Amino acid sequence: MKRAGMKRPGMKRAGMEQAGMKQPGTRKPGTLIALGIATILVLMPFWWMASMAFKPEAEVFTQEPRLLPAQPTLGNFAVALDDGNLGRAMLNSTVVALVVVVANCVFALLAGYAFAKLPFRGSGLIFMAIVSTTMVPVAVTLIPLFLITKGIPLAGGNDLFGQGGAGLIDTLAGLTLPHLIGPLNVFLARQFFLGLADELGEAGRVDGASELTVFWRIYLPLAKPLVATVAVFAFTAVWDDFLWPLVVTSSAETQTVQLALSRFLTGGNVAYGPAMAGSVLVILPILAVFLFNQRSFIAGLSEGGVKG
Amino acid sequence: MPIPATRRVTLAAACAGVLLAAACGTGGGATSGKSGGLTVWFPGNSAPEIDLVTKTLVPEFEKANNVKVEITYVDWGQISPKLNAALAAGTAPDLFGHGPAAAAGFVRTGRIAKLDDRVAKLPAADREDLAAYLEGGKVGGGQYMIPLSGQGTLIAYRKDLLTAAGLDPAAPPKTWAEAYEAARKLTVKEGGAVSRAGLLLQSAKTQRVQTFLTLLASEGGSLLTAGGDKPAWNSPEGARALEYFTRLYQGEGAVANQLGADFANQPAAQNPLATGKAAMVMATSGQVIQIAKARPELADRLGVLPPLATATAKTFGGAGPGLFLNADSKNQELAWKFIEFMLSKQVSERYARAAGALPVRASAASGAYAAEQPLLKPFIEAAPAYVASPNVPAWVQVRDVLDKHIEQALAGKAPAAQALAAAAAEATPLLAGK
Amino acid sequence: MSVITLARPAAARVGPRRPGPSGPSRRRRLVGLAFAAPAIVYLAVFQLFPVLYGLYLSLTGYSPLDRGAPRFVGLDNYLALADSAAFLQSLKVTAQFVAEVLPFAVGIALGLALLANRKVRGIGLWRAGLFLPRIVPLTAVSLIWLWLYSPDGWFNSLLAGVGLQPHDWLLDEDTALHAVAVMRVWKALGGNMVLFLAGLQAIPKTLYEAAALDGAGAWARFRHVTLPGLRPVMVYVITVNIVYLAQSFAEIFILTGGGPLGSTTTTNFLIYQEAFQNNQFGSASAMAFVLFALIFAFSYASMRGIGRRS
Repeated sequence: MKRAGMKRPGMKRAGMEQAGMKQPGTRKPGTLIALGIATILVLMPFWWMASMAFKPEAEVFTQEPRLLPAQPTLGNFAVALDDGNLGRAMLNSTVVALVVVVANCVFALLAGYAFAKLPFRGSGLIFMAIVSTTMVPVAVTLIPLFLITKGIPLAGGNDLFGQGGAGLIDTLAGLTLPHLIGPLNVFLARQFFLGLADELGEAGRVDGASELTVFWRIYLPLAKPLVATVAVFAFTAVWDDFLWPLVVTSSAETQTVQLALSRFLTGGNVAYGPAMAGSVLVILPILAVFLFNQRSFIAGLSEGGVKG
Repeated sequence: MPIPATRRVTLAAACAGVLLAAACGTGGGATSGKSGGLTVWFPGNSAPEIDLVTKTLVPEFEKANNVKVEITYVDWGQISPKLNAALAAGTAPDLFGHGPAAAAGFVRTGRIAKLDDRVAKLPAADREDLAAYLEGGKVGGGQYMIPLSGQGTLIAYRKDLLTAAGLDPAAPPKTWAEAYEAARKLTVKEGGAVSRAGLLLQSAKTQRVQTFLTLLASEGGSLLTAGGDKPAWNSPEGARALEYFTRLYQGEGAVANQLGADFANQPAAQNPLATGKAAMVMATSGQVIQIAKARPELADRLGVLPPLATATAKTFGGAGPGLFLNADSKNQELAWKFIEFMLSKQVSERYARAAGALPVRASAASGAYAAEQPLLKPFIEAAPAYVASPNVPAWVQVRDVLDKHIEQALAGKAPAAQALAAAAAEATPLLAGK
Repeated sequence: MSVITLARPAAARVGPRRPGPSGPSRRRRLVGLAFAAPAIVYLAVFQLFPVLYGLYLSLTGYSPLDRGAPRFVGLDNYLALADSAAFLQSLKVTAQFVAEVLPFAVGIALGLALLANRKVRGIGLWRAGLFLPRIVPLTAVSLIWLWLYSPDGWFNSLLAGVGLQPHDWLLDEDTALHAVAVMRVWKALGGNMVLFLAGLQAIPKTLYEAAALDGAGAWARFRHVTLPGLRPVMVYVITVNIVYLAQSFAEIFILTGGGPLGSTTTTNFLIYQEAFQNNQFGSASAMAFVLFALIFAFSYASMRGIGRRS
């Protein structure tokens, strides 16, 4: 909270100056200093995480925490991967995340496109219903989804009526269930396609292109920022998920990264070295996803809003 | 507008990814331990125990019986919700470990198998050797749980810190009152706050109920009435016990800090006794032995007090965690074989040694492990003083209620007697089976 | 929720075509339905149906451990909640948590967005750095902060540096919730900042130029151009933050486990305990619906409150 107070005056000044008088590329020491301080404060916890990941156990609990490990070690990573079962967990989360990303990129985009460009009877109402489901707290659907997942017919020993077995409980498929098509992604897709001119499609149709071709060849290539945004949202939705895997999985084979990380914690105590090493490993893929998509992601959200 | 070639490749790769992933997804489900092998959940996070069980014992059992066994260790705080979810879903393991206090609840819901017939088939000598702790796994006279070890809690102390404070480590406290007096001398305060605790009892969630039970029993009181259907903690003994507990943290005479922190699950090297942040700490045999292992230089500076008395000398202990056989298991024969394996003379002693726990067999008290481990001796000798949690169906909920009110008292939010009365009022309908 | 539409002036002009009766558009409508069908079916089964199912469960007594089926009990669960001290306390904790995090998570993020909206060299890198906490999983983040708050952690070493006693941030009833809130503010900044950036860049530059011609100073331009221009995004950010913050779970699970003295037991955490520790699916569902109603009411109020003022 204290840090917040410190930053505020600087921000306001920045806000006032921003109007109209931008000189691209010039140096603005005030801005740079403010940005620098803000960024250092925001990134500080990551520094500690990375530093502790390389600290041997004896260095973790000292009176004066040191910014850098005195005797860096890779041992924590070995412990995290071996005892922490993190390798398996990362594979699981990756598989689940990939399925969810692709499902969202296909079905949420198609639906958003239909709501924007190919409206049908009742589509407005249905779209509103879809959007309103984003307001439903996870807690409301958690128990029903758990029971539905258990009752998926013909899975996990279930009969045709979803009785007798465990359904998709404790499977990777069960982990994907709540995330396959995000209502927010449908919403984003509709907004994005609404912003693209109808004339583009008309031109294609005049040339005799089918609706699928119009979507595939004309609109989709323009939707790169959208795909990036939806992909990142879908990926993080899975990678960040904690409550659903906690409830729906039980065996080590189906453990996700979040569960594996939480296992370093017992009764408020943590083996910090391996836990931080594990955190580093878990953050790296998402960091990669972000850095690769950074431009189109932030641009997709921000500049897309202007051009759209 | 033609699609760039790279995009086409990306999309194709993505599609392939889906198919592959979908295949993996269903595959993962079908093979997650339900293919004829045995699944077992153990509670806890003790690294030496996990190592022994998963890397040595289980491979031995697998080889001897030509089967697959899948072991999962679940953190104590998570074992109940995880089991509940898995039992509800039908994915619960064949065998699961839990504390004896959970037995009655599982019996009531019909989730665990009765084991009397199987126990009866054990050789008579074995039954006798195991009798003391097997008693702790009974509900209403029926055997439902097989303890794998015994456990007890005593006060461990640092001889060097006692000497430094002018106390004689050869004549340590014998009563709770003496322990408090010693603690006052051992406590170091900085700026009004305790920086080195004289006496730390377990005060984390659920552990504080065990501490209260220790103090209550030492006062001569008990948690429930003889019939087990009414609270009895709401008594003068209970009030005195909780007042003692609270006095450790509150006011001028405070001798403890870190109220609510969980020392029991801490890595041994971080235990306050190991770091010197406390002079006397309530601990199980496993914790004391692990501390001595993690900090070898402390090994001969550690001492363990025999059970402290007020009216009588009692302390929390008895049957430790043990295995329950899932009533729905399709692997009951194999599951029992695994239990027999864990109980066998050789395996049970190695198991106890790794966990630092009390061996489940009475004969092991004179065995090699007990002989080579001087810190274990006081825990074995304390066995007659052990008092366990009540084995009634609603115990887990009742414990949570009591826990909440004890926390209130410890934080100075409510007087001891009032907190206990409130807990009793809330727990009465639960115990009555409502 | 249609605020993003408002943030896109161009989008608002290009509305969907009204479906007509002619041949090609009939086919087009069918194609549209086909495109949307997978999403509609999926969301109906896995989003809408669970809500109705949950509503039914909330009217039953159901403990799956007992092997029985849900037993209809009418409004009993809801009536019991009105008397449940634990539940009411959890609502209070949740409300306090949201009220503590929200102003900072929104205010500071707005400041950062103004800062990051300026054209300085390497701005992309700064933005990425500030955005980072948003993409890092809450579990990992919570583990880091658990250490920062630990007796030998960073905050206590800072205290020691200025000669103060260390403090058990997460074990003290008076500081635990605030400590979690500080972490959550930090976590929320990046995401909110990016949304504000989007809003800032959607404000037409001509408005600033016109204001400057009228002789408006920097503060006046911020007050009369930037803030009104940001209103739609502001509504969205506040609404989304309320919805997310009111459902806090993972950080509570890791940092405090709901303690001390229940001071950090949010409603979502209590629901998890009620469902999977106490096996009361019915009453846990009732709790969830009360939470739902409150979240809905508050986010609706925020939409109306901020959205309408002009």
